[in-house]
Amino acid sequence: MTLADRSPAAIRGRRQWPLPKQADPDAPLLVVEDLRVHFTLESGSVKAVDGVSFTLHDGEALGIAGESGCGKTTTALSLIRLLPSNAKVMGGSVRLFGIDLVPKSENALRRYRWREISLVFQGAMNALNPVQRIGDQIAEPLVTRLGQSQADATRRAGELLELVGIPRQRARAYPHELSGGMRQRAMIAMALACDPAIVIGDEPTTALDVMVQAQILELLERLREELGLSLILITHDLSVIAETCDRVLIMYAGRVAEEGPVSEVFSRPRHPYTQKLLGAFPNIHADRRTLEVIPGAPPDLRTPPPGCRFHPRCPLVLPICSEEVPPEVTFDGVRVACHLYDPASDGTPVPVPSIAIGIDAPITPDDGSGPPEPPAPTFAEAVAEELAASTPAHMPMLDHTLSPERPPGEDR
Amino acid sequence: MGSRYLARKIFQAILTIAFIVLLNFVLFRMMPGSPDRVLARNLPEAARAELRSRWGLDKPLIPDQLVAYVAATARGDLGASFKFNGRTVVEVLSERIWPTIILFGLGELIAIVVGLSLGAYSGWRRGGPIDYVGNGFSLVLYSMPYFVIGMILLLVFATGLGWFPTSGMFSLGHRFDSFPEQVADFAWHLFLPLMTVAIGLIGQYSILMRSSIIDTLTEDYVTTARAKGLTDGRILRSHALPNARLPAVTLIAINLGYVIAGAITVEVVFNWPGIGTLTVIALNARDYPMLQGIFLLLSISVVLANFAADLVYGYLDPRVRT
Amino acid sequence: MTSAPLSAGDLRAERIRLRLRGWVDFARRFARRRDGVAGVVVLLFFTLLALFPTVLVGPLQTATTAPGLPLEPPSLEFPLGTDDLGRSMLNLVVHGARISMVIGLLATVVTVLLGAVIGIASGYLGGRTDTVLMRITDFFLVLPTFVLALILAPIILDLIGSEGVIFGIPSTLVVIVVVIGVTSWASTARIIRSQALSVKERMFVARARVIGGSGAHIMWRHIMPNVLNLIVANTVLVFAGAILTETTLSFIGLGDPLLPSWGVILNSAQTSGAPGLGAWWYFVPPSVCIVLVVLAFTLVGGALDDVLNPRMRARR
Repeated sequence: MTLADRSPAAIRGRRQWPLPKQADPDAPLLVVEDLRVHFTLESGSVKAVDGVSFTLHDGEALGIAGESGCGKTTTALSLIRLLPSNAKVMGGSVRLFGIDLVPKSENALRRYRWREISLVFQGAMNALNPVQRIGDQIAEPLVTRLGQSQADATRRAGELLELVGIPRQRARAYPHELSGGMRQRAMIAMALACDPAIVIGDEPTTALDVMVQAQILELLERLREELGLSLILITHDLSVIAETCDRVLIMYAGRVAEEGPVSEVFSRPRHPYTQKLLGAFPNIHADRRTLEVIPGAPPDLRTPPPGCRFHPRCPLVLPICSEEVPPEVTFDGVRVACHLYDPASDGTPVPVPSIAIGIDAPITPDDGSGPPEPPAPTFAEAVAEELAASTPAHMPMLDHTLSPERPPGEDR
Repeated sequence: MGSRYLARKIFQAILTIAFIVLLNFVLFRMMPGSPDRVLARNLPEAARAELRSRWGLDKPLIPDQLVAYVAATARGDLGASFKFNGRTVVEVLSERIWPTIILFGLGELIAIVVGLSLGAYSGWRRGGPIDYVGNGFSLVLYSMPYFVIGMILLLVFATGLGWFPTSGMFSLGHRFDSFPEQVADFAWHLFLPLMTVAIGLIGQYSILMRSSIIDTLTEDYVTTARAKGLTDGRILRSHALPNARLPAVTLIAINLGYVIAGAITVEVVFNWPGIGTLTVIALNARDYPMLQGIFLLLSISVVLANFAADLVYGYLDPRVRT
Repeated sequence: MTSAPLSAGDLRAERIRLRLRGWVDFARRFARRRDGVAGVVVLLFFTLLALFPTVLVGPLQTATTAPGLPLEPPSLEFPLGTDDLGRSMLNLVVHGARISMVIGLLATVVTVLLGAVIGIASGYLGGRTDTVLMRITDFFLVLPTFVLALILAPIILDLIGSEGVIFGIPSTLVVIVVVIGVTSWASTARIIRSQALSVKERMFVARARVIGGSGAHIMWRHIMPNVLNLIVANTVLVFAGAILTETTLSFIGLGDPLLPSWGVILNSAQTSGAPGLGAWWYFVPPSVCIVLVVLAFTLVGGALDDVLNPRMRARR
């Protein structure tokens, strides 16, 4: 697909349905500004998302990464207000085509659900209605939201299934009759039903084994190319983001730590948390080495630490970190929220000392005998090597993924 | 529906019925309190011996008596009643069964429709004052024996307010000019006992459905349905209810055995001429053939009802149809 | 870390200390459930009534010692009115508490014992024993057990003779207890069996076998304590069911008129036509007692189950 085809105007021009009436054709696809979401528990108020901002452009794939509980799922769900009843958006704005969704009433917001923003959940076994055929589930939004006839919707559902690589006869099947990978594909087909502007994938590959995971990622890649799909991918698996996304947003304890193009952030991480995260990721290139572990645990979000929320665990903590919330500063298209990076500085990454905890360290005698081991390349360095060698980024361990020539109906 | 599922269920039902017939036989023949000892206690030995041979009781239990019993049962011959002057058990049962079926059947129907709806609504709109009051009310009803409900209704609406009759199925000694009039009189008598059965069941079913809906609402596919932008009504109808009603069907079926106890007592309270009052009469008169027949009838009914419930469940839940 | 080896006495003390802490912890968690606490209060009240009826209202009145006129409405002299024989309803209801609770208790014991024996044996022994026992259990689950109880009772009564006395307990009572027990054990057996199965899988049973414990020893020392949690919560609910069943059986006429449980009182109320005569005091007080007790048991059973067997509930 040429660069021209991927311009916002071109992508929006290819939509099946017109833009929402209130849409501003010049506005970026999605602008989230200072989003705050609080949960009310009987033990207190949890500030799950506390000032998250990002932008998504047409045709872009943004990955949101972070530890469990950092607020990435909550952020994504709050875009279309899919939160449980004890959660509330406390502030900020979510501008889709310039339309702010936050102040809209539940009824008004419903119009945007699935038609502009749709969702693919993890573990699609439970995310699909077990007593309804998958063809009917895919056709359902077409009938109820777009007013199509049952016959048209059924036909379209069949087309969507073919698009994701499931033979259309399988539309009569129930979810329990499909394998895990096929169910995930069906969920993707369902998410595409109304030709949405954005598809959010919440850990879409986590419950799958590696081979199927590769297939799903390849499918997403293909759909992005063919349809100009804009994607928000939520995951804790950095390799998935490296494979599929253009930009990455690293979240910690409800706030943005770092955000920028994948190549830049993964090769030259700036925020100490990002560096630790990348260091904690097993690197298949390296010799058997010890895993980086980030000491401590994520904070209790009912009483988050003052200032920067990472400061209790940060190896480079400064006095100011426990007093002031670090401002977001941008260098070369990368946004960082860390006191190490002064707005006035040039943005050179400050490397974090490595704290290796010997999980499988070889037992060496302490007498200094034996040759010193050469330092193994970090994950970041390995990725940088790959990126330098080829485009797009390709995880070597996934080299034996199925080629596109494989017949689509065959599933693992 | 998978034929294997159907075949399995039919087989289980037949097997259970066979065991029930066997149990019935065991109960009344092998117990030392066998008929001739109980009934003819006061007769001289010669007469008793005569009776024994006439009833075939001097033949060995197995296989002769057993085979004879099973054969007779299969033929529809359940013996003659002691109490009702030699009328056959089957005759008396068939007289008494329709009032019970109407009372009980209508009651179940009303309870299923109203109880499940109330429970679904209560579970959907959880937490409001209506929910707490309704739930508390249902909990109290759940702990109340049916006959207590009946007695209270009788006291308030029949004795107290005089709106309804206090007993029976038809007004005594009344000559009806037309069929509609007869039906109206019947309905007038039916109302209170019917309400009793229905209220008792509604208490159970609404609690059941409420917790089932609450469980269903935490499932992921409901979140998916919300994400699809479906209206609340549609989510409830197409996604929540079809799943929440599954445990309800199962529990309704399991419940049937217990409801029979309640139905019997309700008939006693309102003197409704059905199987319930028949049971009490037979008990007091130690009319064993009749008791045997009632046991057989009620047990087989429960088995058949469970079978029907299995069929319904198989229709509603595609996952069991393998 | 090195330290002096613990003596047997120290170990025992430590074990007792841990158990005490477990109890305190349990009590604290249970106290948070207001419905369970309310249930316990109600049950304590009725237990008091059951333990000291004579102290509270005098000896059980009979037809010959009836102090009042028949079917008198409540007054200062008879706060709950009189029955059709002229006996004080208050007297009857309080004595009825003891009779109903005792029958319920005995029936519960029989039910749970039977269910536990069959459940544990079936779960632990497995194989053909398990299959056979479970077939029988399933049969009893499908059967309308109330009808079975109904039929069994007169048979056994005629066998024993209704005037008889067994171990000092009137035979009618024994019959009701036995009949309830024999017909209600099935669901308890199923629950306990599933628990015994899961426990059997656990490591320590294998270890005990390695050490050389016999089958019965293993069943007792290792499987029982874990199963006990489930049995306790289930027992409370069985108690509620037993009281309801006894009440219903007595209402139909299978009770002992000389031992008026609440169900027997209600039977008398029905046969004397109390509802039709407007004599609400005859049947409302025993009914209220039954409802309160059953409700209390249900609430306590539910709270116990939640506290002893916590389940993670996904909150979305």
